[in-house]
Amino acid sequence: MAETKTKMTCPYCGAEMNQHGEKLMEPRTAEEARRIDPKLGALVEEFHTCPKCGKGAARPGR
Amino acid sequence: MPSERPLNIPVLLGTTRKGRMSAHAARFLLEQVGKRERVVTELIDITKVSLPIDDAGEAIKDKDLSEKMNSADGLVIVAPEYNHSFPGLLKHVLDSNLKEYIHKAVGIAGVSAGPFGGTRVIQNCLAPMRELGFVTIFFDVNFSNVFTLFDESGNLLDPSFARRTDKFLNELIWMASTLRYGRENIPLK
Repeated sequence: MAETKTKMTCPYCGAEMNQHGEKLMEPRTAEEARRIDPKLGALVEEFHTCPKCGKGAARPGR
Repeated sequence: MPSERPLNIPVLLGTTRKGRMSAHAARFLLEQVGKRERVVTELIDITKVSLPIDDAGEAIKDKDLSEKMNSADGLVIVAPEYNHSFPGLLKHVLDSNLKEYIHKAVGIAGVSAGPFGGTRVIQNCLAPMRELGFVTIFFDVNFSNVFTLFDESGNLLDPSFARRTDKFLNELIWMASTLRYGRENIPLK
């Protein structure tokens, strides 16, 4: 069954954002290293952009 | 439908050296970008970005720079060649952001005192640009022999640069427009 993600709300104008990317991130701290996805060997970061104001935002992904 | 907002393409002056000739190149490019319709620009001078050197990366993010990069749709980087590569402080500044760059277009102008016009700094910039999330274009601007390319007032003495810069900006604006549409409208599957 496909996973449904919650749309991110723009922290600048409140509009619904579009997720256009995700990136595997190397951990930068010991705390982040404990949170890595063992199947990917890295952290996942999601990238979203607001179609209304054009600003971007990020959040941890899965 | 394309956005009604003008494209925002700042010019980043990537050196702090005293007497830097790259400042003339950056001002020339700023003027050229500023002539384009529906494009806004500004000069971001890395000497004005206050970053500590006892830490690195997003931990030292400068709020003003972060906001400028977040609002940008593309970026022109003006980089002199230092020992065949980019200035360390330019990398330090760029490394302080990440989400601000994802899926945005970047064009690079190399500057050198010799005849190669910063080709090596441009080549060495490509790998970090990719990792930072930028999309590089295949046009560059090469300011060769920079000490004789501009007069004392910073006026460009070789008129062929206007035509070359025109091609560079056509490509950068196309890429920035296309990527903005994608960022705002096309969801990642």
